Amino acid sequence: MACKTYTTERLSAFVDGELAPAEAAVVRTHAASCAACTAALADLRALVKNARALDVPEPPPTLWPSIEGALDRRERFGWLTLSNWKPFAVGAMAGAVAVVLVVFALPLLRARPETPVASAPPETPSAAPADPLLNEAEAEFAQAAAAYERSIAKLRTLLEREEARWSPQERGRMAERLARLDEAIASSRELARRTPGDSAGNEQLFAAYQQKIAFLAAAVHRGGEAGDWDKRGARGP
Amino acid sequence: MDNASAAMPVKPPTKPMYGATAGLTVSGLQLGSRAATDAKVQATDNNDAALVDAIRRGDAGSREALYHRFKRRVYALAVRIVGPVDAEEVAQEAFIRIFRGLTKFRGDAALATWIYRLAVNAALSHRTRRATAAQPEAPDEVDTQVSAEPVHGDAVLRARIERALARLPVGYRTVIVLHDVEGLEHEEVARILGCHVGTSKSQLHKARARLREMLTADGITPAALENG
Repeated sequence: MACKTYTTERLSAFVDGELAPAEAAVVRTHAASCAACTAALADLRALVKNARALDVPEPPPTLWPSIEGALDRRERFGWLTLSNWKPFAVGAMAGAVAVVLVVFALPLLRARPETPVASAPPETPSAAPADPLLNEAEAEFAQAAAAYERSIAKLRTLLEREEARWSPQERGRMAERLARLDEAIASSRELARRTPGDSAGNEQLFAAYQQKIAFLAAAVHRGGEAGDWDKRGARGP
Repeated sequence: MDNASAAMPVKPPTKPMYGATAGLTVSGLQLGSRAATDAKVQATDNNDAALVDAIRRGDAGSREALYHRFKRRVYALAVRIVGPVDAEEVAQEAFIRIFRGLTKFRGDAALATWIYRLAVNAALSHRTRRATAAQPEAPDEVDTQVSAEPVHGDAVLRARIERALARLPVGYRTVIVLHDVEGLEHEEVARILGCHVGTSKSQLHKARARLREMLTADGITPAALENG
């Protein structure tokens, strides 16, 4: 049963001491003889008191490593982001157009139609690095990448068991996030492939692997808790 | 930071601090005394300023100390605004924004208020992205972190409040989380949400009314449950 004189919102303002003294006194007098207001005030006080005492959940242990990794990547590769190039964008574009003109357009203008154009030899793939130390480093990078892949595969298997208990929406979100992580791995792998012997590419690739592992580990860990909570929620009153 | 504390009074923390914070508080203070609380707030402000300076100088240890000081609050906020599934992603995004923005932090607001603002923005923009990508959203699931079925009145009520919070519209939920759960003043809430103090107050009262309505519809009478 609701009171027709005071809304719950107004009583909430009274609980917080926001009403002018005169109005607060009227509410107090009214509430003494109104069962609905007395009940509402008691409920509001219980809500406020217990809201302030709600648990503060502990973040997963993987949170800090993932933040640190992301910050490191930004510090190392931040210069590649578009925003850093904005001040130079106009000049860079003009420069790029000029280069294209010089490299491609001028030879075309100079080319004589009657001159037979010799066919270019087929492009050969770039030769493997000849330096034995470089080869050794590349082999080690490959081994490390394989180890990361194995860890990811194991975590994926564990996660599949948890996923069976998730809602389709949760599974969809998980697939979406994993796809984004896979994209990051693929682009890092491409960067590493294009720059053999340069550790930066491989470091970026490993950071991407680590991020995916941290995410999967957290999902496996939290997935169990979410499942248990769902069950409790389902059978609760 | 001194400017910030002069411009806006900082409410003493209503929840215990965790992690690295323990090492940063002033020893020998007795909780409960007004003077001691004021001294603690002042000490926290000084610690905040020192921490921010150290981070600006590139001290990685201080960066981690700041993370530990605010990790539970940022994560809890994320859990309550976006739900447990996306909370880690949002908390990560919030901390990246915090560390990237720290060089520009001028101390116009208390550090905690500024951090809350970035965390709320990260959570709300995450929700907006999700909303544009998904169908009508289901109520968020809030992991109450309760290890077993609550057995006494207060615990049952808190579990029910968590679940009802997850069903509140996000605007109401954010205000009630910041004010009632996190214990911030309306001035801070308004600063975080970029609204007037009056708006923060009216939204809070509407949110509480809706929360009570939802609990009552579920057959829960908060006062009776608390006393039971």
